[in-house]
Amino acid sequence: MRYSDLGIGALLLFFSLLAPGFLNNYQLSFLLQVLMMVTLAQSWNLISGMTGYISFGHGVFFGVGAYTGALLLMGGAFWWVAILSAALLAAALALPLGLLTLRLRGPYFAIAMLGLNEVGRILANLWVDLTGGGDGIALSPLLSPVLATNYFSMLALAVLATLGMGWILRSRFGLELRAIREDEEAAEMLGIDTIRNKLIAFTASALLPGAAGAIYAFYTSFIDPSSVFLPALNVQMIVVVLLGGRGTLWGPVLGAVLLMSVQELTWAEFPALHLALLGLLMILLVLYLPDGLLGAWKRIGSRYG
Amino acid sequence: MLWESSVLLQLALSGLLAGALYALLACGLNLVFGVMGVINLAHGELMIAGAFLSWLAYRYIDLHPLVVLPLVMGLLYGFGVLLQRWLIERLTGRDELTSLLVTYGLSILLMNLGLLLFSADFRSVPVLQGGFYLSSLDLVISKPRAVAGAISLALTLGIFGFLRYHRMGKAIRAVSEQPEVAMICGIDVAKVRQMTFGIAAAMAGAAGVLLSILYSFSPETGGEFLLKCFAVLVIGGMGNFLGALLGGLLLGLVEAFVGGFFNVQWAEAVAYLLLVLVLLLRPGGLLGQRHAVF
Repeated sequence: MRYSDLGIGALLLFFSLLAPGFLNNYQLSFLLQVLMMVTLAQSWNLISGMTGYISFGHGVFFGVGAYTGALLLMGGAFWWVAILSAALLAAALALPLGLLTLRLRGPYFAIAMLGLNEVGRILANLWVDLTGGGDGIALSPLLSPVLATNYFSMLALAVLATLGMGWILRSRFGLELRAIREDEEAAEMLGIDTIRNKLIAFTASALLPGAAGAIYAFYTSFIDPSSVFLPALNVQMIVVVLLGGRGTLWGPVLGAVLLMSVQELTWAEFPALHLALLGLLMILLVLYLPDGLLGAWKRIGSRYG
Repeated sequence: MLWESSVLLQLALSGLLAGALYALLACGLNLVFGVMGVINLAHGELMIAGAFLSWLAYRYIDLHPLVVLPLVMGLLYGFGVLLQRWLIERLTGRDELTSLLVTYGLSILLMNLGLLLFSADFRSVPVLQGGFYLSSLDLVISKPRAVAGAISLALTLGIFGFLRYHRMGKAIRAVSEQPEVAMICGIDVAKVRQMTFGIAAAMAGAAGVLLSILYSFSPETGGEFLLKCFAVLVIGGMGNFLGALLGGLLLGLVEAFVGGFFNVQWAEAVAYLLLVLVLLLRPGGLLGQRHAVF
């Protein structure tokens, strides 16, 4: 991480830490959701932005985390134990999936991930004994942590995700991941263990969505299959990364703040319209702004600066 | 009783007929992949567009789906050509990631436009009822299934013949194998790509019309079928047209037998199990071809 990155990070962190002091509950909830989106987008950035293997079903880890967190909390676990277990379970799910599909080069991973969020929702609906099916799970307010605690947990996750990304971008591991994205065959020829690297990136990228799901469950204190295996969430994290700039450190942060703010002000109330516009935005971004706002900013800067 | 030959024959026949629809849909998807190298994640939505056109014609102007079928194919052909010209053509030569993201965006856009226009309610076009009784074999085949299966098979084989023997079909194959050489030989490569995407869209549209007489559907049904198509593609080999045909029939057969011997919910999961098995054992597909073969 460069000094300027550390500066930006410290400034953002400073405001986020003070935020509960001067924001009302509605504003704090909104900020919590922005931080959640930062976490999810950074995770997606790690597997898809860095390696170019697109995960179309990353929402499944969020959903699994939400159910794990809620069920463990009801079972009497400490909230932070529940969050930790949710993260680990999500990663434990990612590992065999990766083993199956990341051994192969090409589109197989993307295809296998495509319907996974849906599969998660259907299973959560069918497995009534565990999940309560369509009725969902209501958490007693006595059990779940208060809003400020949830806010700080989510902040910790977002910071962890961004720090982790900053470290990976400067590390040999990050370099190897980008080599895979640019030319996997060449990377392999240079002695990079591509399968191992892809597997580590994918498994790690499932950890934080799992934890975020658990915190989200505490925060809303009610979850059901369609609220945590939410198609919109699945799509949002992709659009956020594309908007900000894939494979960059601050792209997901910038994208999350922008997209969540615009959505909050405009079309979040109409689910189908919301998703249709996200789909359109995705096409336009990939075609006309492939390196996102940060990339465009850098290009303009280097032209006039 | 399940092992009686008439029951086995019944399951096999209805499985093959259901599989023919998968084959029709998967062959279009595979054609686009083989020629353009683009995996069209919006293929399922093109099918649903066909299904809704059939429903609209039946509901408002009382037209029989089989009459509408050529019209829908024509409309979707045009739509496919436009999509290729405006959108997909920009993806040629760019990485797989780009084309996946763009067609994923397109799929989300189309599906949600469908939800806005038609809501998430399930529709159907109940025109054919009852069954054909084959007295010599002591079999009953439901009429919609027989008609949809036969038309799917005829269309798929027809397109296969077109690709293999017609001049334009040969041009499509040339572009898929060696775009540069094809261009030097005077083939208008961009035009051929438009035609290819148009044909694939028309096949999806036809599959949609046939779907509308077979099952009830909503704008969200496309995703389900797309996943089955991918199972078919992976089984048959990516880009392999005949492989997709055989893969589709095989998936239909296996689903019918699992549905007959266990239960229907398991049959829904069969596609994923097959996908997983093939990825584990023969990632290149059962026929072992990785690139465009017609």
